[in-house]
Amino acid sequence: MASDLLSRRRFLTGTGGLAGGLLVLAPAGVAAQEAVFMRAEDAPAALFPDASAVADRRVVATAELRTRIRALLSRPPSLWEAEYRIFTVTRGEHDAGFVVIVEEIGKHRPISFAVAVDGRGHVSDIAVLAYREAYGGEVRERRFLKQYAGKTLSDPLRPYRDVRNISGATLSVEATGRAARKAIAVLKATGDLT
Amino acid sequence: MARRRFLAVVLIVLLSVPGLGARGLVLAATPEELEARLKALQDQVDTLRRQLEETRAQRAAPPAPTAPAAAASAQPAVAAPVSATERPFGLTDFKIGGYGSTRFEASDLSNLNNTFTFRRFVLSGDATIAGRLRSVVELEFERLTELEVERGAPSEDGRRGFSQSIEGSDKSELSLEQAWAEFAFAEWARFRAGMMLVPLGRFNLNHDDNRWDLPRRSLVDRGVPALPVPAAWSEVGMGLVGDIPTDDWGKFTYQVLVMNGVTLDSSIETFARGSGELEAEVEIQPRRGTANIDLKRDKAGALRLTWSPEPASEIGASVYYGRYTPDVLPSESVWAIGLDGKTMLGPIEIEGQYVLTHYNGIRRVARGFADAVANREFTAGTPLEVAVEFELAGLAETKHGYWADLRYRFFPDFLRDTPLGRPFDNPQFVLTLRGEQVWLNGLVKEIDFSNGLLTSIERENRWVDRVTLGLAYRPVPLFVIQAAVERTWTNQGKSLAAVTNFLPARRTEDTANTFLLGVAFGF
Repeated sequence: MASDLLSRRRFLTGTGGLAGGLLVLAPAGVAAQEAVFMRAEDAPAALFPDASAVADRRVVATAELRTRIRALLSRPPSLWEAEYRIFTVTRGEHDAGFVVIVEEIGKHRPISFAVAVDGRGHVSDIAVLAYREAYGGEVRERRFLKQYAGKTLSDPLRPYRDVRNISGATLSVEATGRAARKAIAVLKATGDLT
Repeated sequence: MARRRFLAVVLIVLLSVPGLGARGLVLAATPEELEARLKALQDQVDTLRRQLEETRAQRAAPPAPTAPAAAASAQPAVAAPVSATERPFGLTDFKIGGYGSTRFEASDLSNLNNTFTFRRFVLSGDATIAGRLRSVVELEFERLTELEVERGAPSEDGRRGFSQSIEGSDKSELSLEQAWAEFAFAEWARFRAGMMLVPLGRFNLNHDDNRWDLPRRSLVDRGVPALPVPAAWSEVGMGLVGDIPTDDWGKFTYQVLVMNGVTLDSSIETFARGSGELEAEVEIQPRRGTANIDLKRDKAGALRLTWSPEPASEIGASVYYGRYTPDVLPSESVWAIGLDGKTMLGPIEIEGQYVLTHYNGIRRVARGFADAVANREFTAGTPLEVAVEFELAGLAETKHGYWADLRYRFFPDFLRDTPLGRPFDNPQFVLTLRGEQVWLNGLVKEIDFSNGLLTSIERENRWVDRVTLGLAYRPVPLFVIQAAVERTWTNQGKSLAAVTNFLPARRTEDTANTFLLGVAFGF
């Protein structure tokens, strides 16, 4: 009978004990939907773990630069940043690649990305620095982001075409693709990539 | 005296303010002193200008490389947040969203007119209250276009009367679908309390109309509900939800909730017959539990586990168990299980769900029901004949069924430079084939009782099948135009109206062919 399974006493004892246990065991970090997950200055070391040196610079997004970026993209980005923070990463004597900080709108808010690009213009890795939407935060998961490795500006990077979609996070998946393409376009427009 | 003190205090305060004191000095300074001060200020401005130019020059040219900071994590994208409470500007904002849907429907059923239906408009809000605290609310207006309540005390021929009237639209509903708050102990353990969607099957949790490519909800979830309560089914309760990502085994999630749970509850429908009879029909059927004091002593529980081996795939298993009878009836339980999943095979997306619900002790419930409403059917006299009937509805010993969708997404290149493609980043057509079957075993058809005793209970086994072929145009993920043809049929010679809640078929109409054209949007 149902009354045997979930009597009031059992319910109160169970939930009380569980809640108490969680309060004791609760760890420090909570990766909720909305949060700042990484600082921009930490991104180069995270995306290029074997980097030996990093040069940090900011490039103002002038009208001329935006025009060049727009020409490289098939469509305009969902937002224009005031400036682009570009990290040039060195491994030993050689350039390992770049990390570009870009933002793209998910549904309502910008998502901040750090996009790692190698010297040939291929995406090598992506990290979500800050996620500000109520839903769709699964795009920061490693197993999703790793599918962008090797993609170039000529790839569409769109769900159901060359990117595996996440149910309920389609807008954020599209934003991730736009961010990756924008990062490569920024490097080409600034002359860092040919 | 007081005034003098006040003026003295004001004077002291004014004199003690450095700026005002300095201004007094300046006014008293000589031209030489003023010139010296101007020169000092000019020197400061020159220094600041040089610093500004140096900063600009540093930004324009790459600085000398520096050693990178220690790697934050071998897997940066799943790193814990920098701070649980440190959030970017604007994150405390309340985000408002919602969805809505409208449908045109043309059927070959003789009692069903071709019609436009405003399916629903749902307003939702999401707030991050603080680092670990979140709240979600969802308010549904289903076919609701008007609700007007009037009360008055009119006077006629010097006599005071009282009036009350309710004006509303047909088959309308105003429903609080979700209103819960969450405290995240950890990503894998988030305490949630309030009005929450019951985690039984994937559709109930993902029921937003703009997410789907067909303009009608599935049979097991809505039209011939094998769920204990049709979707969207929410209950008041508390529980834990959590996500557990792993390196090698994908991602696991769980939800475990305790709630008031589904209860046999009443609804009263009033009919004013053309014969001058006013009839009230009290329908007792499983409904979502009350948000007030529970009608039964025991609570219900639900558990859902999912495994997502890769981002586009998920397998889920759910179970629900609880008492469904109010305290005035014998204590009997209902249990339900759900199995569901979604995956992609090349360009084909496959999604489906199976649900089985079993009600224990229906005969005992019918006997208790007969006892509870004994001799309650009565008629009253002039000016209107009033009849009250009690009906036990929607109960079957076992209800089970499934839906399975095959979807193919495409967009022809020759349409990319047309208004269907040009303005959008990733427009899609979605071809969908859905197959559905529902079985109702031991469906209570009619019960008779006399003097508080159950005299007979008539039950039958029924099934309903439906096949739907749809084509949707989705210019952006939040907007979809859905066209579909569907064929619904049941046991030969038996009416679809007795087993569905949306097809007003005649007594022998066992098949319905319908064309649907819908629009759904989200924001």
